[in-house]
Amino acid sequence: MYLHIKSDTCVRYKNGGVEQIMFLAMKELMHSKMRFLMIVIIFVLLAWLVFILSGLGNGLSTLAASTFKNMKADYVLFEQGSQNAMGKSLLSDQLVEQVEQLPQVNAASPMGSTMATALKGQSTKNEDKIDIAIIGINPGSFLEPAIVEGSGLSAENPNHVIVNVTMKDDGFKLGDTFQLDGSTESLTIVGFVENQTYNHVTAVFTPMEEWRKITFAAPGSDKGIAGPVNAIMLQGKDIDSSAINDKLPGTDTVTRAEAVQGMPGYKEENGSIMMMLGFLLVISAFVLGVFFYVITMQKTNQFGIMKAIGARNGFLSKAIVSQVFVLSLISIVVGILLTYGTAAIMPKGMPFKLETNLVIIYSVILLIIAVLSSLVSVRKITKIDPLKALGRVE
Amino acid sequence: MTKGLQISGVTKYYAEGSGRIAALDHVSLKVEPGEFVAVVGPSGSGKSTFLSIAGALLRPSEGEVTVNGQLISKLSDRELSKIRLQEIGFIMQSSNLVPYLNVLDQVLIVKRMSGRVSKEDKAFAIQLLEELGLGSKLKSYPEELSGGEKQRTAIARALSNNPNVILADEPTASLDTKRAHEVVELIAHEVKSRRKAAIMVTHDERMLEYCDKIYRMEDGTLSLLQTNQREAMNLVKV
Repeated sequence: MYLHIKSDTCVRYKNGGVEQIMFLAMKELMHSKMRFLMIVIIFVLLAWLVFILSGLGNGLSTLAASTFKNMKADYVLFEQGSQNAMGKSLLSDQLVEQVEQLPQVNAASPMGSTMATALKGQSTKNEDKIDIAIIGINPGSFLEPAIVEGSGLSAENPNHVIVNVTMKDDGFKLGDTFQLDGSTESLTIVGFVENQTYNHVTAVFTPMEEWRKITFAAPGSDKGIAGPVNAIMLQGKDIDSSAINDKLPGTDTVTRAEAVQGMPGYKEENGSIMMMLGFLLVISAFVLGVFFYVITMQKTNQFGIMKAIGARNGFLSKAIVSQVFVLSLISIVVGILLTYGTAAIMPKGMPFKLETNLVIIYSVILLIIAVLSSLVSVRKITKIDPLKALGRVE
Repeated sequence: MTKGLQISGVTKYYAEGSGRIAALDHVSLKVEPGEFVAVVGPSGSGKSTFLSIAGALLRPSEGEVTVNGQLISKLSDRELSKIRLQEIGFIMQSSNLVPYLNVLDQVLIVKRMSGRVSKEDKAFAIQLLEELGLGSKLKSYPEELSGGEKQRTAIARALSNNPNVILADEPTASLDTKRAHEVVELIAHEVKSRRKAAIMVTHDERMLEYCDKIYRMEDGTLSLLQTNQREAMNLVKV
């Protein structure tokens, strides 16, 4: 039976074409605009919320880990038992040379991170204390991000740093020197970089040497390790992490994605947004499904008449599905426009980041959900008895 | 090949409680092309069941139904819908038009169900509608039509696929006397001029003058009541 319909569909497509299939759907849409406008409004709101949530989720995860995500590294070598978190890992940079010798490893470079507070001048005002993440790297290594303004790091001037452009919004400019809270170190901005945030705050890149000075200011805090670093970033496809773990006892190598998951709070934050999105999609499926079903129920008699004069289930089902398709497409497009409109008027500091491929993915998911939810109505149609249309006075 | 509609020995049972009742009891009827037959009877007499079986909407429990030489009583649902589309024109009660289609599309929808609409189909539909006095209403929607106009649209829809059998179910139910006469006269005219085999189920005794034969349905059996003018009757009661 099912196969039957299939082959019939093909034939219809051939001699019917899109205009033929959409005919009933479009005629009805144009005739009862108000009714369909209601559905479109609801669908637009749902789609809007889906896109905003996905933008927010994306924005938050970017804020949390863009430095990590944008690094040209494939694997990260941590201390064993560090739960893939920078803050819990301490290694010697002597391991860099050893790990570079291992197969599949093309390059290795150490990295360290410390949370700190930048003081703007000697001010005591709230807004003049800025949270920053100090990222220690070797100047000129593959971990150094591309400069958009100014110059890069240099080993000769360890307190010359490059910072994320968002510091400009806080009133910093090239050549400015700022003090670190609770430290005697002061840093001078020599360059700006883009999309570099770590743990939700602005990333400040310093040479390794300077990072050590700031981080291990207290005697003994380096546990006596020579050349302490938090982790070693590795470049190279298909690195066998277990082989490295065997070769270098006391270490743990993971992919960059796993290291991102290991960042404090990252999983929890991302997880809640994804859960909301998931719920929203399920709710959308039910809300839309019920709407389409109610509309179909209202038309039971009409479909019965058409069946009585010879319409096949396929003909009517296609009318429903194509109608839902058109409605969904309109709603999703409007939803996307509204989302971009919202993004344009959002305050600058909002962690909101729309990505075209995410928008496309969620559009397709919504479209599929809508069409699937209309299948309940299609099932209803196939069960309508054409007999009911006879002898019925309205 | 025998044209027209033949119904022979048709019985339809419905389950009721533990037993079954016969809604139709060995009904036989033959309608020739160009013949207009009326079936009258009280409600509950089996008229609707009869029309549903004649119209390929329902399969009989026993007996045979032949439409234009084709035995349809054993066909699948799918094949029945094809028969309905190609061989049978239904004229239903007045409101049974699709609310969001204009008069021309109401007629062409039948063509769309069977594939694409050609220029000839459109021309034929327009000609048909003009013939039925709806030439100026082609773009009107059902809500803008009078009861008579709706019913004439339904007649055009029934004729649009050039079927061999026309079945009318209480076509005058919601019309005043003048309109009712107009509508039935039109059906009779189309049946004669286009050589269709037609059955009209009606309560309306005023309309019987347009029919060639009048049958009465009572408790599931069919009997000939009257033959208007010419031609000998075929068969009646079993």
